[in-house]
Amino acid sequence: MVPSVLFAIFAGVLVLSALGVIIARNPVHSALLLILCFFTSAVLWLLLEAEFLALVLVLVYVGAVMVLFLFVIMMLDVNVTRMREGFTRYAPLGAIVSGIIILQLAGAIWLRSGLPAAEPLTPREAGHSNTRELGAVLYTEHVYAFELAAFILLLAIIAAIMLTLRQRPGLKVQDVSAQVKVQRKDRVRLVKMDAEKDS
Amino acid sequence: MLNNYLPVLLFLMVAVGIGLILLGIGFLVGRGQKDPEKLSAYECGFEAFEDSRMKFDVRYYLVAILFIVFDLEIAFLFPWAISLDEIGLYGLGAMAIFLLVLVVGFIYEWKKGALEWD
Amino acid sequence: MMNELVSDLSAVRAEAFLAAGICVLLLFDLFIRDRHRDLTYALAMLLLAGTGWLAATAGGDGRVLAFGGSVVVDPLARVLKVAAALAMAVVFLYSRPWLRERQLFRGEYYVLGLFALLGILVIISGHSFLVIYLGLEMLSLALYALVVYDRDSPIGAESGMKYFVLGAIASGTLLYGMSIVYGFSGTLNLGELREYAAGLDGVPVFLLVGLGFMLSGIAFKFGAVPFHMWVPDVYQGAPTSVSLLIATAPKLASIALVIRLVAEALPELLVTWQVILMTLAVLSLLIGNIVAIAQTNIKRMLAYSAIAHVGFILLGVATGTTAGVEAAVFYSIVYVVAAAGAFGIIMLLSSRGAEADQLDDFRGLSQRSPWFALMMLLLMASMIGIPPLAGFYAKWIVLLALVEAGAVWLALFAVLMSVVGAFYYLRVIRLMYFDELPGGAPVQAPGDFRLVLSINALLALALGLFPGPLMDLCTGLLG
Repeated sequence: MVPSVLFAIFAGVLVLSALGVIIARNPVHSALLLILCFFTSAVLWLLLEAEFLALVLVLVYVGAVMVLFLFVIMMLDVNVTRMREGFTRYAPLGAIVSGIIILQLAGAIWLRSGLPAAEPLTPREAGHSNTRELGAVLYTEHVYAFELAAFILLLAIIAAIMLTLRQRPGLKVQDVSAQVKVQRKDRVRLVKMDAEKDS
Repeated sequence: MLNNYLPVLLFLMVAVGIGLILLGIGFLVGRGQKDPEKLSAYECGFEAFEDSRMKFDVRYYLVAILFIVFDLEIAFLFPWAISLDEIGLYGLGAMAIFLLVLVVGFIYEWKKGALEWD
Repeated sequence: MMNELVSDLSAVRAEAFLAAGICVLLLFDLFIRDRHRDLTYALAMLLLAGTGWLAATAGGDGRVLAFGGSVVVDPLARVLKVAAALAMAVVFLYSRPWLRERQLFRGEYYVLGLFALLGILVIISGHSFLVIYLGLEMLSLALYALVVYDRDSPIGAESGMKYFVLGAIASGTLLYGMSIVYGFSGTLNLGELREYAAGLDGVPVFLLVGLGFMLSGIAFKFGAVPFHMWVPDVYQGAPTSVSLLIATAPKLASIALVIRLVAEALPELLVTWQVILMTLAVLSLLIGNIVAIAQTNIKRMLAYSAIAHVGFILLGVATGTTAGVEAAVFYSIVYVVAAAGAFGIIMLLSSRGAEADQLDDFRGLSQRSPWFALMMLLLMASMIGIPPLAGFYAKWIVLLALVEAGAVWLALFAVLMSVVGAFYYLRVIRLMYFDELPGGAPVQAPGDFRLVLSINALLALALGLFPGPLMDLCTGLLG
């Protein structure tokens, strides 16, 4: 009973904030509403007892990905009014496409032929660790996919550096290690010369 | 299991409640008389020259994306650490390879100078 | 557990070798000087040779499942993997002089190219939704980065942006379809999914919805109409060496994607996906061939021609028969040979910073270089499907499979569209032989480039004259 009430509340907030993401005029507001979306979906996952995924969603998406989003928004200096120009022109097409998708999904849900109704979830006991269960299969059964993920991350590093790192020529910077290891003979030159005499 | 999270729920309710109450009191009791002049940006008495938002350097983006990659790596470490007694040597080896690949990435970004600001 | 590990690793030895090799190459390239950059190229070629050899020998002669059934090594995987490694080697070889002339000769090109190949190999051997999706993401990520490889090119940045946004939507669509199917069937494994589908009475709607989303994603990655918008822009906007890469090896991953996710996993739903694939194929043939006529940029023209060829490949898969699928695989390999050659000729003609990407650049090629004009003639004729070239034989077996499957009208339509398509290929030939370009200098290129390009073009002839060996490889693919 309590979980379904909580589900209704948080699902409602999720849908509203998702709507807000696409309606908000200011892209920064959109990004903040997206954070709210992530939070509420994390709660929904928690209600399904997927606690590890819920916490990772908050940690990674809210903590890191959304920061990136905000950087991008601020980097681009988006002109909102110009972006909205095409809205009325493309809105009907978008409405048709989303209408079709909604109809498909509704059909799939209502007409699911010959399928048993979903069984209600049985709550786990207090000591049950979802994270532990995940770990038990992730590094053994799905080890191939896990290692592939490592290579995708490596690829992401390489691609990001290749695309954004730019050596600026003629930049004057301090090389700290060179400064530290500098020796007396590099800087000071003692020159022997005869004392000048008054003529 | 969900019972473990009851304090979090209570905390959320209190936080949302206090936030709403404080804002609500300000909205109801405050006697603000708003007009466009009062709400506009104040810049030493004359009209604002430009938008206060300015473009970020693309280097922030690089730092953030490199952070995300290693953030994800850490996320993979949690379930591994918890279930290590169950998955044993096999899991240890799997994580060793995973970390090794990311160390290669780390060497790459270090040598390329992506970690330096200038 | 350890025995299992050894046999699992032996099944994915090509992928493991390539992955380890990429790390070595990346570090190696970091620590060498610019003037030794050729060593990176040599190492990449060595890696490709090793990968090809390991892929050819993995899994013996039969069909091996590894990692709990999430990886499959079968004859189809062996043929496509070796073809992909070969195609990537040809791409690297053609690209070297082109990249060097434009100061783009950096280790990242090879690292990203090898990552793309790794993604392709993973897709080809993928036997679970998770593995296939990860392979696809790896391929796509590498390609996004390669499209914007030349950072100072505005058109490259624009096409990269389009490709990335549309590609992300397509990945999302594919993932959504997969998650719907997973949510109802409860399995990520394609073998288990097949058994699950066989055990159902009647076709449940959710499976159709999931399949529909998955097919949209696949059609995008393949570049089939109506999900083709990115193809011409990317082919045109990307550096030519990258267009060459995108036009060749990833097509082999796409055909594997269709066969694994649709023909192998869900044969029970043949009636459904047959209709979808046929619609995609008909539209691709129509739009690809007709719009190609209006192009003046040869990279764009080849992009529309690729769309048209994808239509033919999809027709082969859509028959649902073994002969049809084998014909589609044969067709893909022949197409990759012809596309590699055609882009090779473009890169041959692009010299000293000038890009030969306009059709007019082919004017009077027969006087500037009679030999390479002849090679281009062979490649174009193979794409049209003129006997005795390989393209003809490939089209012929696809049409045979279609007629056998009872789709005579589709076969007729495909023939008609091929005739329409002949127009724009013939225009290239006309420009080369019957037009003149005053002041055209003789073509210059390194010896290995000329040699491999000639072999590449002659292969299009040889595969048509003697299709037997390749056809033998392509029969009995589906165990």
